[in-house]
Amino acid sequence: MTQHPDTPNGASSPSTSAKDCQVFVGTSGYSYTEWVDNGFYPAGTKAANMLPLYARSFSIVELNYTWYQMARAEAVARMAAKAPDHFLFAAKLTRTLTHEREGGLREQLRLYREGIEPLGPRLAAVLVQLPPDFTRTTDNRRYLAALLDGLDGLPTAVEFRHVSWAVDPVFAELERRRISLVTVDIPTLPNLFPPLDVVTNPDLFYVRFHGRNLAGWRSANMQKKFDYNYSKGELHEWTTTRLQALASHAKKGIIFFNNHVRAQAPGNARELSRIIEQGS
Amino acid sequence: MTAMFRERAIIHFNVTDFAVSVERIVDNALRRRPVIIAPFQAARAVVYDMSEEAFGCGVHKGMPLSRATRLCPGATVLPPRPDIYRRAMRAFLGQVQSYSPRIEHGMVDGHIFVDVTGTHRLFGPAPDIGLRVRRQVRNGLGINPIWSLAGNKLVAKVASRLVKPTGEYIVGSGEEEEFLAPLPLPLLPGLSPEEVRRLRDFNLIRIGQLARLSRQQLMVPFGNRSDFLYAASRGIDSSPIAAGDSRAASLAFEHVFADDTNDEKELAGIAASLAAKAGRELRTRRQAARRVEIQIAYADGIRSAGRATSRRGTGSDFILRKLARQALQRALTRRIRVRNCRLFCSLLERESPQLPLFPEAAGPEIRQEKTCAALDSIRSRFGHAIIQSGRVQ
Repeated sequence: MTQHPDTPNGASSPSTSAKDCQVFVGTSGYSYTEWVDNGFYPAGTKAANMLPLYARSFSIVELNYTWYQMARAEAVARMAAKAPDHFLFAAKLTRTLTHEREGGLREQLRLYREGIEPLGPRLAAVLVQLPPDFTRTTDNRRYLAALLDGLDGLPTAVEFRHVSWAVDPVFAELERRRISLVTVDIPTLPNLFPPLDVVTNPDLFYVRFHGRNLAGWRSANMQKKFDYNYSKGELHEWTTTRLQALASHAKKGIIFFNNHVRAQAPGNARELSRIIEQGS
Repeated sequence: MTAMFRERAIIHFNVTDFAVSVERIVDNALRRRPVIIAPFQAARAVVYDMSEEAFGCGVHKGMPLSRATRLCPGATVLPPRPDIYRRAMRAFLGQVQSYSPRIEHGMVDGHIFVDVTGTHRLFGPAPDIGLRVRRQVRNGLGINPIWSLAGNKLVAKVASRLVKPTGEYIVGSGEEEEFLAPLPLPLLPGLSPEEVRRLRDFNLIRIGQLARLSRQQLMVPFGNRSDFLYAASRGIDSSPIAAGDSRAASLAFEHVFADDTNDEKELAGIAASLAAKAGRELRTRRQAARRVEIQIAYADGIRSAGRATSRRGTGSDFILRKLARQALQRALTRRIRVRNCRLFCSLLERESPQLPLFPEAAGPEIRQEKTCAALDSIRSRFGHAIIQSGRVQ
């Protein structure tokens, strides 16, 4: 892995086979009031000033507000202008296309593409996160195919939450389409999609750390679900096992921490970056 | 610990066509059919609420029903049932109350403002609350509210106006002015139609055009409204979320006439009686009101309101009666018979414990106060109707 010259948290690969892979580490979302309370942002930081401050520590962010509401070009452009030129964005696909599928796929996709257009070449990936009840049925396979057709031309990554999708034909189809399968770090639960190091797109691997809070995950309370602090040991172990495998099969990798509660995500992201740099 | 300014997070929930949405929960067959709600037994009934489909045909609130049914002949017309709308509103509020105690809402209009500032440690990011409430209300009650999130009520309200009939809108902190700038001026809450007309005379069509003007420039044509226009056009609004019903900061009393009447004496008598009830309630709460509003509903469904304001807050029957009389005179604009009369006391404040500096000069007031106290004590034992006041002609 090579370090991007301008980026604070690009990192180099610990392995020879992965030495050409450029890795970017960041967090899922950056606008959390809680991160002011927990000291990641200086006291009194207003939401409007968070992105420039975040960009001092990280070179990539996963936008999650595009999941809550359809991306709107003028707001996305204003936000992107606040980050330095080298800064990259991954944008989560709107929930009306993944979680609340109520028709109008083509129109929704058109709006989404229009909305994220201002990101231009700074768009690292569109994240299609599918809900746990989206199982591998014929209808859902058709739906996903139509959705991915609609995203054609955009760098895309798919995160499954249901285990039924963890089969070779799915990986083969993603490979054919050059779409990244998201590698998750998640508690072990019977029906959850497992942590795998399968790379389906040689251009990009995509990792999401959700935390390993088993009880929180069952509680359905977001503040408990994503309340987890990875230890140095856990991050070291992950780097030597999973990251090696991923980085040796792709040119670029993006890694996000979603355990936003009590600003654990930025802490863990910094720690992982240090580990990767030390190992290079 | 030092107190620190915290950016506010206000969520506005709105169920469009609330009455129609509730009727559709009660009767599923009404879905996908145009619906008009109006008291059709009244001779000249007007539209109380209508569905999106009826609105699409040109029907709007306050329109005579005869015209509405001509415009939308296929519509199902139902009489308003405020009781079930109130019940639905209570259930809707119940869902929101688990996230914040700071809630402001209308009576049965489907609007709720919630201040979720500082709740992130319990419930996570504010957009998640918006989404969860919507999901719960949709699954539990079958109605689908719009929600918007912004740093204040004004911007949140504009945002939800943009996404009707369904959807959501998040306005990022610091983006208020840019968000408002391209929007047409009538979307700005708090502007009177007259002000919109005047602004149009100055060739100001969009909110951003208004925001380019300085306070001094606005002062000449708009006088004391210039501060409001200056702040609102920039998305500045520091008004707090008033806990509870937005009318909870008011007292309301109602009288429905057994037979519709246009007898001015009878109407004045009822207004005075309602004022006395309000006075007693105010004195019990140790509050004083500065404004009395009379709302009347004519037999044909048309409503009219009049207000009277006093410089000092009062809980005295004598002054409240005078204000009620003035308000009634302002509300009575037609010769049609009146069906009901409501009295609201608002601009409530705490009763001042200050005694008069020169008691001899405040003689009549003290006498009136004593009379009120005597009336209260009699009524507390024998009921309100046991003793009435009257006017000597």
